Parts: sequence; structure tokens; C-alpha cells
Amino acid sequence: MDAATGLCAGCFRTIEEIARWSQMTDRDKQVVLNKLAIRRVSK
Amino acid sequence: MMSAASPGSSMVVLERGWVSSNNILLFDDNHNAILIDSGYVAHHQQTLQLVRHALAGRKLTRVINTHLHSDHCGGNAMLKRELGATITIPPGHADAVRRWDEAALGYSGCGQACERFMFDALITPGDRLTIGGREWHVLASPGHDPDSIVLWDPEHRTLISADALWEHGFGAIFAEVEGSSGFREQRAILQLIQKLQPVRVIPGHGRPFTDVEQALERASARLNALEADPERNARHVIKTLIKFYLLIVQEIRTEDLVAHFSGRRYAEIVNERFFRLPFAEFMLRMIDELVAGGALELRDEIVANRH
Repeated sequence: MDAATGLCAGCFRTIEEIARWSQMTDRDKQVVLNKLAIRRVSK
Repeated sequence: MMSAASPGSSMVVLERGWVSSNNILLFDDNHNAILIDSGYVAHHQQTLQLVRHALAGRKLTRVINTHLHSDHCGGNAMLKRELGATITIPPGHADAVRRWDEAALGYSGCGQACERFMFDALITPGDRLTIGGREWHVLASPGHDPDSIVLWDPEHRTLISADALWEHGFGAIFAEVEGSSGFREQRAILQLIQKLQPVRVIPGHGRPFTDVEQALERASARLNALEADPERNARHVIKTLIKFYLLIVQEIRTEDLVAHFSGRRYAEIVNERFFRLPFAEFMLRMIDELVAGGALELRDEIVANRH
């Protein structure tokens, strides 16, 4: 985890997002994936 | 959403990647929890954060490992230290853990790391694990690892399958590389799962799935292909180990990657048995295959992970 951003250094998800991932619907996952694309480029 | 009474509410699956296994929390009604598998050591801080988040104030009493590969037990030491959990392991490697023999545990042979831990109890095929009103049967599942266990809840027809069955495949069969039996055992565990007819499988890697029939068909076809071609199985084992290492370091100079695996048991055995090339040449061949398959990238003298 990146201490400054609170994001996983590999997948850019928050702890909350990783913890909930397996219970998310495909649609919820896609919403998160869209956010990750932005987080990745603004790194 | 599931209701509080549904079987799903007594379980939380922390779905990780390929370096760290999934972590599965089983809760009882008295605010206690058991964790199945603890991930790889390089991720142990994230494991601790995820487990704390999922516990939400409840107490982690035990960590149980399905098997002792480094991606399944690398958080054991940290979780024992930080949360006071006890550690329970299958009996096969108990002596190796006691004296922390990294060769016998396979860590040095794979070029992997694991923080030393000590276990408090053993879990043996035939045991029953009761938590949160669910009873899990402990089943032997040799194949990927001779001493691995899986957990079966017959009432809810749910299987915690570790690396015996994933949605797409199963864990590499290491024993066959060394000339010991592993395919036969893997076939037996697939047949056992077929007989149990689970409606839900929680694998060691990847997402939980319900189309178990399809997964078994894919696994069975893959096993047939590997069994028919032991060299393919051996190449697969080495490529798995290289990719695993690249997932951790992300990029590395080619010569350093070769050096990392030089003298490592599995790489040496596979080269000796199937290739008989100078070691660097053998490694470059494995790297080329990973690049061709889209798993890695080569840039000048650097090997890089590819997402």
C-alpha cells in the first residue's frame, strides 16, 4: 500500500475496495475499474 | 444483498491477486474469526490492513493454512504478532516448520521468501472445523502440493478449494518435475470434487465461482494435456515461478533474473531433465516463451512484468 495515497501500489484500489471486491457485482467492479484508469495516469 | 441469516454472512472472501492467495474469514456469533490462508510476505502489511478492515473489531483467533506455499502462509508471522492469532497447519511439513528448513519447505528451491513462523496446532484430513453454525470437513487434496487440504461444507455445498481447483485451472504440479507422482493425485481430487457437486467454490486464487461443472471440465482437459507432455508441465512450473517473481519485483535486469534462479532446485532440475542447456540460455528460453505469451516484456537488458 502507498502510505501517501492509501492505494495498493499494484492495482490502485483502496483497502475498502479490495475488501469488498468479492461481493461486488460486475457493474460495481466496472465502476471501480474506471476510477483505477484515472488513478493510474494521475499517479 | 444477502440477509444476515444466509450462509454468506458468516464468511468474507478477500480476493487477492496471484502473488498472494485469497484470504477467507469465517466468523462465529461471538465476534471471533478464523482466517484461511494469509498471502505472500511481500504483501503482509496489506493483508493485515484488509483483515483488520474485515474484522471490524472482531477478534482473529486462528489462522489455518491449506498448505504451506509461500503465497498462502507469508502473513502468518505478522498476523500472530499483530493480532495474537494462533497458527494451524496441515501435518506434512510440521517438522520442516519447527526447524524452519527453507529447502524442505520449498522456498529456496522456488526463489521465494517467507517470514519464519511457528505453528500452534495441526489440522488433519478427517478433522471437522465448526464455526458460525457451519461444519467444515477437512479433506486431503494432494496434487498441487502433497500435503494440502481443502475444506468442504456439505450442508451449503461450499468448497474452499485452495489450489486444487480454480475457475480456470489449478496450481502447478511441482512433484512431477522432481519425478514423483502428482498428476494421479490431481486427477483424484478433481474426481472427488465432481462427486461432491459443490454449488459454490472459493478458490485460493481468482474469484469465487458457481459454474463448477465448467471449471472441472477445463481443469480436467488441462490435466490431460500436462500429463501427456511432462515437459510442458515442467516448463509451466518454471514459467510460473519466473512470472511470480516478476509480479513482485516488476522489473529486473535479465542477468539478475538469471542469477536469482541460478542454483534453484526447480530451475536446475527442469533444465537438467529436459533441456541440458547452459543455465542462462535455458532461462532466456523460458523468458522468451513468457514474452511470446504476453506475460512479460523485454526492453533492452530489462525484463518487465506485463499486466
